[in-house]
Amino acid sequence: MSNGDQRSMIRDAMQAIAQRKPGKSKLVYDKTKRTIVAVSEGVSAPQALNITADDADMFGVVTLSSAWLRDKWPNLTTLGSLPVDFSSWDDGDALTQLALCVQGSGTRASAMLVFGEQQAQPGYGLVISIVPTDKPTHRPDVFVSPDNIAYRAQVTEVVGPATGRREVVFADIEPQLDLRRAGILETTVLKDRTVLCVGLGTGGAHVAVELAKSGVGHFLLVDRDRLSVGNVVRHPGGISQVGRAKVNVTRDLILEKNPNALVDVHATDVSFDNRDMIAGLVQAADLVICGTDNRQSKLLINELCVSANKTAVYGGAFRRAYGGQILRVRPKHSPCQQCFVSALPEEASDVEVSSQSDADAIAYSDRPVAVEPGLSLDVLPIATQLAKLALLELLADKSSTLNVLKQDFDAPWYLWLNRPERGTQYADMPPLSSSRDEMTINRWYGIYFERDEQCPVCGDFLAGFAAAYGIDPSKLPALPEKE
Amino acid sequence: MTWTMAQRERLALEHQILHNQGFTQFSVYHYAADDTYNAYGTATTSSGRRYQLFCMIPSGYPTQRPSLYITDPKPLLNYQGAAISSLGVSHAMHTLEPHAAGWVQICHWRADRWHAGIVLQKVFLKAMLWLEAYEQHLATGRDLAEFVRTMQEAA
Repeated sequence: MSNGDQRSMIRDAMQAIAQRKPGKSKLVYDKTKRTIVAVSEGVSAPQALNITADDADMFGVVTLSSAWLRDKWPNLTTLGSLPVDFSSWDDGDALTQLALCVQGSGTRASAMLVFGEQQAQPGYGLVISIVPTDKPTHRPDVFVSPDNIAYRAQVTEVVGPATGRREVVFADIEPQLDLRRAGILETTVLKDRTVLCVGLGTGGAHVAVELAKSGVGHFLLVDRDRLSVGNVVRHPGGISQVGRAKVNVTRDLILEKNPNALVDVHATDVSFDNRDMIAGLVQAADLVICGTDNRQSKLLINELCVSANKTAVYGGAFRRAYGGQILRVRPKHSPCQQCFVSALPEEASDVEVSSQSDADAIAYSDRPVAVEPGLSLDVLPIATQLAKLALLELLADKSSTLNVLKQDFDAPWYLWLNRPERGTQYADMPPLSSSRDEMTINRWYGIYFERDEQCPVCGDFLAGFAAAYGIDPSKLPALPEKE
Repeated sequence: MTWTMAQRERLALEHQILHNQGFTQFSVYHYAADDTYNAYGTATTSSGRRYQLFCMIPSGYPTQRPSLYITDPKPLLNYQGAAISSLGVSHAMHTLEPHAAGWVQICHWRADRWHAGIVLQKVFLKAMLWLEAYEQHLATGRDLAEFVRTMQEAA
């Protein structure tokens, strides 16, 4: 019985259950008989399982990599068999070929892959036979060989306890992932795009993973920190990753979503001491995402991006993540981070203090600043919006369903409020239900402000200041020299 | 050390602003031997006391914050007679990490508030305000922070 047949049968049975009159009997799927049976209520039915939606995938699954099999196809057809290793999940319920695993289960299982009908394979409990089939080639249980012949796989347990029926599916990663994105995103464009992600805290890591899901093909990751236990309640990395560098944690999260992505990691600080190295990364990127909470690192990235004429998107939460903001900088065309800091100093200084290093950066030693991280659910709206703006930039003038958003997201600065935080200018916002035109929580506001023509980073600071101070910039005397 | 033309022009402009704004006691200097820049000079307070101020121009200037030290008198003492440099990063005295040579570093702008729009003339102006507050601290024993507002961002 095929998967599709089973699901169809189960759907019919569930519909029958939904339509039946109360009392008397119930319909159950008998796993042993592999059929639907009617069982009187109150009667013990140890062989039967109550049907739930989960039962639609009731057989164990073996997942093989199509790319690996294509690569090994000449060997398999010549030698007749190949060993293959799996990561075993849930007591062997799911076996995923190691070639597909970024992070395995920690339990391995071995099998022998055989070309043609299964032969006895001493030493291997599990034998997977690859045999020709006339099934349609789009099915996940069909593999199309390099010589364009359709095959299916059948599993034989040679020794050991019977673990029930297993189905083999072939994971052809790139086409199967692209299929889910096609029509909305221009995936062939995104595959060739390089994104530099600076700062991989909760927001930065989330943005990177979202871009990986969307099909971005090349990432440059920069962060000096390691994942701590306290990070786990917010960061996409989990407790098993504690102690690892955030760049490595995020790389693995990216590869889990986009195994074909190229990811370069740099576990380093963003500081003036390694300015040249960071400048090289900026030069190599199509887009820069800056998720640091540190003014100096933002301004350094800003300077390098303006100099290299690279678009950058800066995102961050306000203190305790009562809200957040995003600044998109298209050099020479929209205000840069320096323009923002000069024009809106209070807004630019309202940052989340989510770690001890953040706190130390703004505290005097005799007046410590408390670490007050916000909630993950308050940071993620900002990260999600940032990822969307990043995709718009990456797709630029290419055809995409997202193009219609360009008229919505044409402002340089975006503001989001999670709550009317006391002590802020947003404390007295009207409730969401009664507001019409006033600012409220849970809405994005695109805000326009002018670029500073005399900005010291993106404008003509020299001419502007010279004029302001009555100095002729063409007649600046040479500086006094010292030995 | 490689300076961009924009940085060199900016430093030449800084020097000229200092002199145009009446801060002629301070200048920006170029050290040809190692191609570095510093700004320094002598500040005289309203009481007539003199202090040597030394501003180290970092390679990332103006995006990177310059450090400002009092190099003389050394040690600079507080009301209790202790070296202010021994206090380290102090809100009470508005000081940052002292120089290895024992010079007190004045907190003009914190790194998280600094930006490239701030000119050296404002840095020296804040240093002179700090010195006036310091002398009030010496006269009264009250924290220097009571005489100066937390450094505002506006350039």
